[in-house]
Amino acid sequence: MRDVAVLGVGMHAFGKFPEKSVTELCRTAVTAALADAGISWREVEAVAAASSRFSGGKGWGLNGNDVVEDMGLTGIPVYNMSAGCAAGGNAFNIGYSLVAGGLYDVVLVVGGEKMPKGFIQTSGVEEDTDPEYLRQRCVGMPGPAFWALLCRQRMAELGTTEEQLAKVAVKAHQVAVHNEYARFRKEFTLEMILGSNMVSDPLRLFEICPVSDGAAAAIICSAEKARQLTQKPVWVAGSAVATMRADDGLPRGLAGVIPDGRTHHSEAAIAVSKALAQAGASPQDLDLTELQDNTVYYELAFPEDWGLCEVGEAESLLEAGETLPTGKMPINPSGGFLCFGEATTAMGVFQVCELTWQLRGEAGARQVPNAKLGLGQTLGLGGNGTAVVLKR
Amino acid sequence: MSDGATPAVEGLFREAEDGARLCGSRCAHCGTPAFPKSALCHSADCDDSQMQDAEFGPNGTVWSYSVQHYPPPPPAIVPDPYKPYALGVVDLEDGLRVVGRLTSTDPAQIGAGSAVRLVVGEIGIDTEGKARSSWIFEPA
Repeated sequence: MRDVAVLGVGMHAFGKFPEKSVTELCRTAVTAALADAGISWREVEAVAAASSRFSGGKGWGLNGNDVVEDMGLTGIPVYNMSAGCAAGGNAFNIGYSLVAGGLYDVVLVVGGEKMPKGFIQTSGVEEDTDPEYLRQRCVGMPGPAFWALLCRQRMAELGTTEEQLAKVAVKAHQVAVHNEYARFRKEFTLEMILGSNMVSDPLRLFEICPVSDGAAAAIICSAEKARQLTQKPVWVAGSAVATMRADDGLPRGLAGVIPDGRTHHSEAAIAVSKALAQAGASPQDLDLTELQDNTVYYELAFPEDWGLCEVGEAESLLEAGETLPTGKMPINPSGGFLCFGEATTAMGVFQVCELTWQLRGEAGARQVPNAKLGLGQTLGLGGNGTAVVLKR
Repeated sequence: MSDGATPAVEGLFREAEDGARLCGSRCAHCGTPAFPKSALCHSADCDDSQMQDAEFGPNGTVWSYSVQHYPPPPPAIVPDPYKPYALGVVDLEDGLRVVGRLTSTDPAQIGAGSAVRLVVGEIGIDTEGKARSSWIFEPA
């Protein structure tokens, strides 16, 4: 396997852009990534794209083809990757594998999405054999209710309070103020978070990420190419994807087994541990983590699941300011999904952008001091998990 | 009882004298349960799948619960007019962890560790205007 570098990254700001197409969002992100990499579109040898369910792609998830048709028809191969909300991370892993395996020297990884309003409708399939359909029809469990069940269990087991949950959101907005790409760039007080409407008890509106429009792109390349084109390469130290195990206890579908150990997102834990192993790093070596905070709960649970801290320690680290960019366990210095909103299939690439800026020292007022090693993680419907470790 | 409502999906549950049963399957080789029925054993450690029909319930313990304050979109079936409902994750005595509605929204009755019993009950009105039933849990 060859070493792979992130040569350039770019984003379109997140928010609601009814006047723009997903192609336009992607064009902004790809153009910025090409400029950041210092290369032209014609030097891109292949595209690994996140397949969208909600926008573009000709209804077939052909979102990479949309990008090629917009940027220039150079005949290059396109890989459209589908993995629910993990699609961006999945596309990055494929792009990485293509370069690491020596098939191409320069690959574009891109994800863009325009989301419909309201709850994400997780199943368009109305068949009695589809687990997600059965779950919605027979029980009625939208995403926030699933997260709420996990969160309520944590509160019962570890004593997490509603105020501590709200503090995660306060901290997220505190850093997002400094991110020009974030959708919500104002500080929220504890009272504002706790005063927002209850959605799925115990989770309130401001503790759940909304859906957004947005796009993100990364140009990745071989080490040889990187040395020609940049003095400050960011390296892909690890990139992994995984799916769930049957024995993790997480209430997916209608039912599963009662686990022997702690209930957890096995797809995320497996991907993170694989990516860290590839990087030859331990969780304690990480200088920052961008994780999928669909809700405040995950910012508490995931660092514990992955060994960044002890089980039950996350609340005290949060309250001591240790998850801020200046703390000893910085989590989501970008502001995370809570402040960006989820443009579902773009999120894995969004994380690569933030990690790259952080590792280059270009993150401004939200910079993690002297960041050298960063983790990004996504997960998606179907038990898809992805992780990437970048280093400088 | 389900009071004339028809099942949201046929074949997944049945009423019994002491409550209800979920109609699933279990691997005769390793014991891994499945609901709904599964053709093959899903255990990561089982290399000799032998799935046989099995029923689960009615007694279990709440692992966690939530109250849904806003109506999710179809295909979810919700009360009309909408009234917040509780849903939970329940560990059944026979080894299955299952999701389902709860009849109570009172935390004292449905908090983690509460004993519950599987029954069949109405969950709401579907997009065709029909009352539908599903498996639900009531405090034991």
